[in-house]
Formats: sequence, structure tokens, C-alpha cells
Amino acid sequence: MIPYLAWMEWRRLMRTPLAWGILGIGMCLLSWQFLATLEIFNGMQPSSRSLGLSHHLGLQLYGLASVLILITTPILTIRSFSEAFRNGSYTLLSSAPLSNLTILSGKFFGILIFQLLFTLIPFLLCLSLTIGTQLDYGLLLAATLGLYLLSGGFTAIGLYFSTLNENPGIAAAGSYGLLLLISLLDQNTDGGSFMHWLAWPSHFLDLQLGLVRISDLAYFLLLMIFFLGLALYRLDKRRSG
Amino acid sequence: MPELLTTTQLSRRFGGTAVVLPIDLSLEQGDILGLLGPNGAGKSTILRMLSGDLAPSGGTINICGEDLLERPIQAKQFIGYLPERPPLHRDQTVDEFLWDCAHLHGLNRNQAQEARTQTKRRCGLEQTGRRLIGRLSKGYQQRLGLAQAIIHNPRVIILDEPTDGLDPAQIRQVRELIQELAQYRGVILSSHILPEIEASCNRVTILQQGKPVYNGEITPPDQTCYRVALDQEQALQEITALSAVAAAEQLHTDSYRITLKTGCQPSDLAQQIVAMGWGLVELKAERINLEQLFIQATTGGSS
Repeated sequence: MIPYLAWMEWRRLMRTPLAWGILGIGMCLLSWQFLATLEIFNGMQPSSRSLGLSHHLGLQLYGLASVLILITTPILTIRSFSEAFRNGSYTLLSSAPLSNLTILSGKFFGILIFQLLFTLIPFLLCLSLTIGTQLDYGLLLAATLGLYLLSGGFTAIGLYFSTLNENPGIAAAGSYGLLLLISLLDQNTDGGSFMHWLAWPSHFLDLQLGLVRISDLAYFLLLMIFFLGLALYRLDKRRSG
Repeated sequence: MPELLTTTQLSRRFGGTAVVLPIDLSLEQGDILGLLGPNGAGKSTILRMLSGDLAPSGGTINICGEDLLERPIQAKQFIGYLPERPPLHRDQTVDEFLWDCAHLHGLNRNQAQEARTQTKRRCGLEQTGRRLIGRLSKGYQQRLGLAQAIIHNPRVIILDEPTDGLDPAQIRQVRELIQELAQYRGVILSSHILPEIEASCNRVTILQQGKPVYNGEITPPDQTCYRVALDQEQALQEITALSAVAAAEQLHTDSYRITLKTGCQPSDLAQQIVAMGWGLVELKAERINLEQLFIQATTGGSS
């Protein structure tokens, strides 16, 4: 049932101008950044190039992509629960013979299908360079994986806030607050501290540079599991609330 | 008849306020049970609990032998639920939406195809398959809400204000559909509209501030109460003087509620009226007087 729910959620999402808007605007901005990165790289003296083109793309292009995902994910996730609670359509799922875990997983994976499309944009842009140059595919795949895991973590956070409130505005504000907080936690904190570990940019940076470390993968998986767990708890509480 | 749905001491509190006081309900095949009560009496809360959308504060709900609280997924397979606001996806077409509804209840492709065609025919939605739900009129949206509640052929159908927003012709269609559905199933519906309950239901539970104040049949087995309309007003004493009449009450200028003496038939009453030379315009068996019962029950009188 989870695959059907995910497919249903994705299909409904793609019916909205929102989804196409995000993909379209995302493509424009990323293409711009892609060209700008190329231009800067071309303008550098070969002797002053300490990093290869793939590294530059990983940092600049995927860096912007991560910011765009941070901005767009809460807008996508408020539809899933908050808006459905508000317009009453959630009853369709809650009175069907489905567990809350099934419903939540369906919605989560439905959004992840969309996030996959978005994540592929920077990767496809980089692939267009294969005609003229040698790329570090390992690095680009690692950065793409990082971006996808990041979008999974952000989606889980967004879904949790979506289950919290029937007011989509508050749900979105909550998600932005937490997402920005975990973006800034590594500022002014000790490199080895827990607070520093909680921030996503350092984990993502490793992947942007082509380093696939178990600890970073575990961070993103834990982020997803933790917030999906909280969301599930909220859904269970909501019935008795 | 097997019990399709039973509740024991079902209750619900929101914060410190008791919204539904302990209530026992039962539904058999062929039953159409009406929940009647003023706004805020707890009708929707009861229906939400029966549908599994809201957990009760106390009591049990058993649906076709499955405990809704212990085994919700198994029990919910038997339920079709139309909430107060039809749960529709406004950005989908009618066909897509019903397709999803069928799949959510575990129907496979072939079953879903057949169920969708049949349900659309039943609910009068044949012509709307490709239209966007958001563009449908309120009446059609209500019918689509009904369609999603019955598409998987549930044994217990729970309808919260099913005729809300429909025009008189559509109301009649929905009533007929409910009667048809109830032949092999059980239906619970709520309404604050008396004639609605009178026309559709065979049993009624009247609620007042979360408390069931009346619970029973709408048509009593020993029918003695009739509504009579005459072409001219007659003095009440003269009507009471007829030998078949035990008591009479004037409703309007020319219509009366008459209780027959035991052993007397309505035909006796008709003969006596005609013998008096009064023009008999209407003689109708009155179902239990819900209006009186309702007002009595909801204004603090005993049931």
C-alpha cells in the first residue's frame, strides 16, 4: 500500500502549479549558477587552480541546490498534513484501513519522488560537460547522494511540522525555523561538540567534496528517522487528542 | 440478524468537557439509524469515533466482530464514512479520485474499475468523470463524498448529514439510494432536520448535549395516531365526539392529529367522517411524532 500512496501523493503534487514552479525556477537558478561557476573556473590561471572543476561544481552548484531545497521543502510538506487537516481531506486516509505508519511513509516517499527529480537537475547540468571535459563522476555522484539525503532529512522535518498544526502558515514557519537553526548550529561551536555535529552543513560538505563517510550517511538517516518518528507520534496523538 | 455495529458505554471528552456521555448503540443489517439532535449535540463526534477517525475516551466499538480500537485496520475495512465535509481532493478529476479511493480500501485494478462504474451510476456521477472536483457544484461534491463512502461496498455506512447542500430532487435520490444500500448493510446517518430522519430511518437516537435522550423505533408497532385534513374547519369537540376517536388535537385550521380508540381501524374513522358530511382531504398514519419527541427531549422533558 505504501508504494500506491507514494505514487498517489506524487501524482497529486505534480497536478499543482507549485511543483512545476519549483522545478522551473530551480532549473533557471541552477543553470545560472552552473554557467557562473564555469565562467569563473575558465577565468582562473591554470596555475592558481587548486581544485578541479568537479570540486568547484560540487561546492558552488550543489551548495545553491541545498539552499533551494531548504527553501522549497516546507512549502511542499505543508500540503501533506497541515492543509489536508484543514480542508478535511485527511479523513479519507484516516478512515481507510491504513495504519498511521503507512500513511506517513506514503506521503514521505511521495515527496521523495519529487525531490529526486529536483536533485537530478544539478547532476544533469554537470553531465552536459562530458562532451568537452573529464569529470570526477564519483564526486558528482557523492554530491548528488548528499543532496538527496539532505532533501530526505528536510522532508522529514517538514512533515513533522505539518502534522503539528492545522494552519499551513504556522507549519511552514516552524519548519523554516528549525531548518535554519540546524543550518547555523556549526557557527561558533566547537568542531567536536554535539551541537556542531547536529548541524547539517558540515555533513553535507563532506559529500560535496566527494567524501562518502558512514558517519555522514548515518547523520542524515538519523535525521529522517527521528523526525518521522515524531511525526508518527503526533498522528497517533491526534486521534486521541 | 447479525449485529453489524455495537458500542458499549462509548464516550468522549475534549479537555475537561464531556462531549459525548456514555452511549450504547447497535446496528443490524437492514437498519437505518438516525442520530438526531440540535447543533453541538455530539452527533458528528459519535460518527467520527465510529469511523475510527477519533479515539473515544471510554467504551468499546465493535464492527462486524472486530474491535475498532484493538484491530483498527481490520475493522475499518467494513466501514464507509462520509464526514461533515466531504473529504475530496479538489485538484483531481472524479475518475482519478474514485480510483484512488478504491485502491485505498484494498481493491485491485479490475475490482476498482467495476466498483467505480457502479458507484458513479448509483450516485448519478456518470457525466462528471473527467471533471475537476474543485469545479463541481456543492451538490455534486456531496454526491461524490457519498460515492467515496460506498465504493468499496462496506457493510456499515456512516453518513454525517448526507443530504446537506442537495436540492429536493437530489435529496430524494439520496434517500432512495440509502434505502437500497441498507437492504444488505447497516446505515447510520445524522441530521438536525426532522423530516430527513423521518423519511429515511427506521430507528432514531435523539441526542441532547451529548446525552442520548431517546432511543427507539420511529414507527411504533401499534399504530393509533393519524393525521387528518378536512376541507373545512370543524369544531374540535365534534371530532372528539366521533366514536372511533380517543383524542384529537388541532394542528392547523383544517388539520388534526387524531388518536384512535383501541380496536378501531382508520377505515372506521374515515367512514365516520364521511357520515358526518365532512370532506375528507387527507388521512395519514403518523409515524412517531418526532417533532414533539425532539422538542420534548431537547428542552429538558423526559423521553
